[in-house]
Amino acid sequence: MSNPIISVKDLTKTYKQTEAVKAINFEVEEGEIFGFLGPNGAGKSTTINMICTMLKPTSGSITINGYDVKKDKDKVRASIGIIFQENTLDEKLTANENLMLHCRFYKVPKDKRQERIREVLEIVDLVEVSKQRVETFSGGMKRRLEIARGLLHYPKVLFLDEPTVGLDPQTRSHLWEYILKLKKKEGITMFLTTHYLDEAEISDRVAIMDQGDIIAIDSPTALKDQLGGDMIELSTEDNDQALREIDEKVSGAEVSVEGDTIHLKVESSDAFISSFIKTLEIPITRLNIRKPTLNDVFLAFTGRKIGDAKE
Amino acid sequence: MEGILAIWQRDLTKFFRDRARLIGSFSMPILFLLIFGGGMSGSMETMMAGNMPEGTEGFNYVEFVFPGIVAMTLLMTSIFSAMSVIEDKDFGYMKEILVSPISRVSIAIGKMLGAATIATIQGIILFFLIPFLGLSYNIMALVQVIPFMFLLGCALSGLGLLFASIIRSTQGFQLTVQILVMPMIFLSGALFPVSNMPAWMDVVVKINPVTYGVDVMKKIMIDVENIPAPVLDAMGLNLTVLGQEVTMFAEVLFIAGFAAVLVLFATFSFQRANA
Repeated sequence: MSNPIISVKDLTKTYKQTEAVKAINFEVEEGEIFGFLGPNGAGKSTTINMICTMLKPTSGSITINGYDVKKDKDKVRASIGIIFQENTLDEKLTANENLMLHCRFYKVPKDKRQERIREVLEIVDLVEVSKQRVETFSGGMKRRLEIARGLLHYPKVLFLDEPTVGLDPQTRSHLWEYILKLKKKEGITMFLTTHYLDEAEISDRVAIMDQGDIIAIDSPTALKDQLGGDMIELSTEDNDQALREIDEKVSGAEVSVEGDTIHLKVESSDAFISSFIKTLEIPITRLNIRKPTLNDVFLAFTGRKIGDAKE
Repeated sequence: MEGILAIWQRDLTKFFRDRARLIGSFSMPILFLLIFGGGMSGSMETMMAGNMPEGTEGFNYVEFVFPGIVAMTLLMTSIFSAMSVIEDKDFGYMKEILVSPISRVSIAIGKMLGAATIATIQGIILFFLIPFLGLSYNIMALVQVIPFMFLLGCALSGLGLLFASIIRSTQGFQLTVQILVMPMIFLSGALFPVSNMPAWMDVVVKINPVTYGVDVMKKIMIDVENIPAPVLDAMGLNLTVLGQEVTMFAEVLFIAGFAAVLVLFATFSFQRANA
């Protein structure tokens, strides 16, 4: 890797009983969007908290922007911006006041403050409401304001921990537009965690974490290619009968069942599907052919869907 | 420095913006002044007069209790303002502070100064009641006492920060503080002289920082030199520790030291905090 901005080596966190993070290694390149995925309890938050200087690692080392997280805490803190999962705005203050406080915490030069506040408010379209108290804002506006705040001190890396959790789908897609706009304009490195795997598709690379370990790390396309082929989902009038038929007559497909849906993974759906439909005697009630998604990748690597909480 | 100022200013802005808190915090000491100043002065003065030789000039209880009520206001406001640390944790804002590059000692000092400033402002507001209570203090004395009130406020908000770092919930904080604040007031000489206490209680009086705060405030505000010794005695204005009369200088030093130690504790707790 040419120019890692974050480099994590043998990072371990052990609590009394459990090993929450097991000697993980990875690097994040400058300017990329790095997606960090994993089910609840996989050790994602623990890892992020250690990278952000909020939690002391048991062992291992982390370097951000050339600074050691253990020795140069303040320099690391000045190099990163964080959008936490939960709201960390002061709702009794106005948007402007929240941003001004942030400037002062991060020692943004006095004569640059107004200009920068204006600049970040423009990015997230909140200039008009900058004098209103944050408690009057909608959930989406608060999120945008937090993103604006995270950018004020021109961080090298922006951490986005579940940035769209609790937002409606429309607001979610808007928020991603802002984030992508930002990436284009500023070239900031982004470290992203999300539950919504479709959102992780925008990442240049993703790491999948499970039970304290990183089990896969690559670009979303490469990961999906690794799975190979197409996914066919179908429901029939009698799934048990259908499964028996598939077992007898169909070859070249990996079969799995989830609820009332049968999943087939095949090399190429084009060659497979026409003969398959003719073969099956049981009437098909629903049929869907698609390319594998990150969800399938996740399923293949961890044996479960990302929503299945495993504490 | 900028960080200290920012944290201090934020707490002040929020104080002035919270109307309910503003009104509530002003009415409490006024209530106390009415009860202790108006209601109890008669019986207290009769009681005290019994301890004094015939013919000496009377003992003015309201004059005695006013600095005590101001000190009490300082104590309550300082400690309760330190609760903002717990609120910041609950509302998530503490994370924003903790991930920023502000040094941890600046966070502690900023929080301490914020609470102390709010407490001092409330104390000063009580001064405006002086004419209505039929009292007259030397203006210079009132001006002189303000810096000391601020120092006392620092020490007491430091105490509040210590509690706030140990206790995680606002409810727990309020309960604990109430249990602690009451004896700290009663055993400080703020409301009645503590010169003739049982031995074990006397120990509590002498380790209570509020005792010295109240004592200094009374010494500054009340014209001690022109009061006859027996009255002074009855008012409990001859505080001794281990048989030695304490000087005002020693008391101020003690309170400043107390504040410094507590800021260190608070810094340490912010260093460990993962919010």
